[in-house]
Amino acid sequence: MNNRLRVLRAERAWSQQDLAERLEVSRQSVNAIETGRYDPSLPLAFRIADLFEMAIEEIFANPSKESAK
Amino acid sequence: MNKPNPAQRRYVARFIPAMLAYVIVLFACTWVSRVHHPEGVALYILSVLPSLPLLAVLAVMGMYLHEEQDEFIRSRLVTAMVGGIGILLAITSVWGFLEEGANVAHFPTFLAFPIWCGAFGLVQCFMSLRDRMAGGDK
Repeated sequence: MNNRLRVLRAERAWSQQDLAERLEVSRQSVNAIETGRYDPSLPLAFRIADLFEMAIEEIFANPSKESAK
Repeated sequence: MNKPNPAQRRYVARFIPAMLAYVIVLFACTWVSRVHHPEGVALYILSVLPSLPLLAVLAVMGMYLHEEQDEFIRSRLVTAMVGGIGILLAITSVWGFLEEGANVAHFPTFLAFPIWCGAFGLVQCFMSLRDRMAGGDK
């Protein structure tokens, strides 16, 4: 699933480790989500959205809308 | 190298004693069998004793899966475990037909667990390599 995690993290000058610690997950998790190799669960997606004070769909691209393009 | 999380530290703290117990019990049972030549119930007990620490290792792995809070690591672990089961089933299925058709030696079933562990590790290595080649995990 495409997402803006890397951009949002870069805007705050956070490393993957910084973000991982804020989300209480491993750095590998952050890396896998950023590169689209892993889609987070809904609770983790909400944690990410809360951290960036955004709605989930502002961070993660809706796959059904992506494929319709 | 990433710092192990609390669930991983607990896993190692449980896994090492279980494997140490396996080695000690295996050697002790082999020695007793060779020296005392037990029979009947004692022989059954001695034969089954080395498998008990391995059952503990399985329980330790299950506890780790249950306790791991990082959903990505847990997902990778489950994928690697299922991959390991697939490899084990492939080996034992082919071997079984070879036993039936070509009279190859009987497969010692106690090897199933170490083969699964090896296959589980191989799948994890493959997944790490794939991630690195995809420009992901370092």
